[in-house]
Amino acid sequence: MKKVDLTTQLAGVKLKNPVITSSGTYGFGEEYTPFYDPALLGGITVKGITPLPRLGNPVPRIAETPSGMLNSVGLENPGLEEFLKTYLPRLERIGTAIIVNISGFSLDDYALMASSLPEHSCISALEVNISCPNIQHGGMAFGTDPRSAEEVIKVTRKHTRLPLIAKLSPNVTDIVEIAKAVARGGADIISLINTLLGMRIDLKTRKPVLANTMGGLSGPAVLPVAVRMVYQVYKAVDLPIIGMGGISTWQDAVEFMLAGASAVSIGTANFVNPLAPLEIINGLEEYCRREGYGSVQELVGLAHS
Amino acid sequence: MINQEKVIENRALDPELGIYRLILRGQTAKTARPGQFVHLKVSSTLDPFLRRPISIAGINRQQGEITLFYRVVGRGTSELTRVKENQTLNLIGPLGNGFTVPHEGKLLLLAGGIGIFPLFSLIEALDTSKVKVKLLWGAENRQFLEAAGLKTLLEKNLDYEVSTLDGSIGHKGLITDLLEYYLQGFNNPSEKKSSILAWRAAACGPKAMLQAVTAICRREGIPIEVSLEERMACGVGACLGCVCTAREPSGTLVRKRVCKDGPVFDGGEVVWDEES
Repeated sequence: MKKVDLTTQLAGVKLKNPVITSSGTYGFGEEYTPFYDPALLGGITVKGITPLPRLGNPVPRIAETPSGMLNSVGLENPGLEEFLKTYLPRLERIGTAIIVNISGFSLDDYALMASSLPEHSCISALEVNISCPNIQHGGMAFGTDPRSAEEVIKVTRKHTRLPLIAKLSPNVTDIVEIAKAVARGGADIISLINTLLGMRIDLKTRKPVLANTMGGLSGPAVLPVAVRMVYQVYKAVDLPIIGMGGISTWQDAVEFMLAGASAVSIGTANFVNPLAPLEIINGLEEYCRREGYGSVQELVGLAHS
Repeated sequence: MINQEKVIENRALDPELGIYRLILRGQTAKTARPGQFVHLKVSSTLDPFLRRPISIAGINRQQGEITLFYRVVGRGTSELTRVKENQTLNLIGPLGNGFTVPHEGKLLLLAGGIGIFPLFSLIEALDTSKVKVKLLWGAENRQFLEAAGLKTLLEKNLDYEVSTLDGSIGHKGLITDLLEYYLQGFNNPSEKKSSILAWRAAACGPKAMLQAVTAICRREGIPIEVSLEERMACGVGACLGCVCTAREPSGTLVRKRVCKDGPVFDGGEVVWDEES
């Protein structure tokens, strides 16, 4: 039987397969080791880092929704210094591509993060989070205006030679406009989508369920929105795409690749099925073999032709 | 750690109150400890979407069985009532750290409502010839206490007292009253001191109750472990959904994950009123 080539190349970032885990759903790569060896993954995107440690938002941070969930964690993280000291050496030992998600509240924050994260380490790329819906300033505010989105990427670009992934927010009128802006700013790769802003209200307390009132919607419920946005961005912008948003099966992953994603990222599905990323890798390979594709990359964008 | 377990029993102990007992046979019983939990997939569809964390109330290593009790409160637990004997349930577990199991001395067990369930597994693990146990259990009424296992306690010959909100059995009032009365029972100050020094406490119940009993125990110098509950997504420490706030010895506030660093915490380290 012919072997299917799963290797994936994203603007100089080499992955052993196109399946990555999403920021905020996979900690710093340690929580899922009781289930499988994370070296099997194409890559791991670590929890978003900010210059200083953050306690994040109060609880409740989680609310269930039909076929999905809301979260408002608020970028709880140990901060840049602790990340470099404690977590980076451990990530070094995993043996797969590491993508570090960076967040900030000002352009200086992004500049500091970019210049502090080492270019010669296990870090394969930086994912610039301009789309977090759960913090008051920065985050999504940068990602919903084309001019500031371009500016953040431009500033970050100046401070590192690592490939830059711009993570886009779906909470915009025109995703293509933002995608073009980050391309102008110098992004190498586009990842989308972050969570959709939502909320739920408790009928007993008659108050919002989340302590932070609103949160980001993820899970299978958002999948068609994400597929649509990947499709639109693929058509309009000539940058590789990491597609994400509700992927929980290999069929979902194939759909994203057909829409134009060169790689896919698995987030919320990890919570329900820790083995989802592995099942998706195997399913992608099996699909390609069955359908006669020698490389998984042949699938990318087929829905457009 | 992901196990397919066979449903041995899934039965309503009180259909009106919606209290159920679920017995599962599989791998979890081999390594489970008192105070740990399992993360159950209650539906084979995408809705309800998340797993449900349920504390382990009984561990039978010989039979390879764990016992869970649950109360129907929402969609997930409603879905769980539909599971039939001989079906299999997908679970992740055992998860979390669990209670300290003392081998000697005196253990004060403090339960609020369904908070009794994880304490059942702790009671089961104790050598009661070496550990003196006193259980204080507060709940809404007699019907609840009987449905949730009061008879089992009688059979075990356990030294216990109960309180109910409506006074239908035991003391009318809160478990904190029971605890204060119990501690006042040591009249002679020196006797109180020497007696209380030998105690440690383990508690599970609503947050407000845990906060109150922790304050009392700390006042009296009784070390207390509390089992916390929080809305959970992953159950394994990855999503940071179910955090609590703790104060480190240095005074620094830190977040801890209820699923992974807990669910059992030293009551003294938990910051109960943190607002930020």
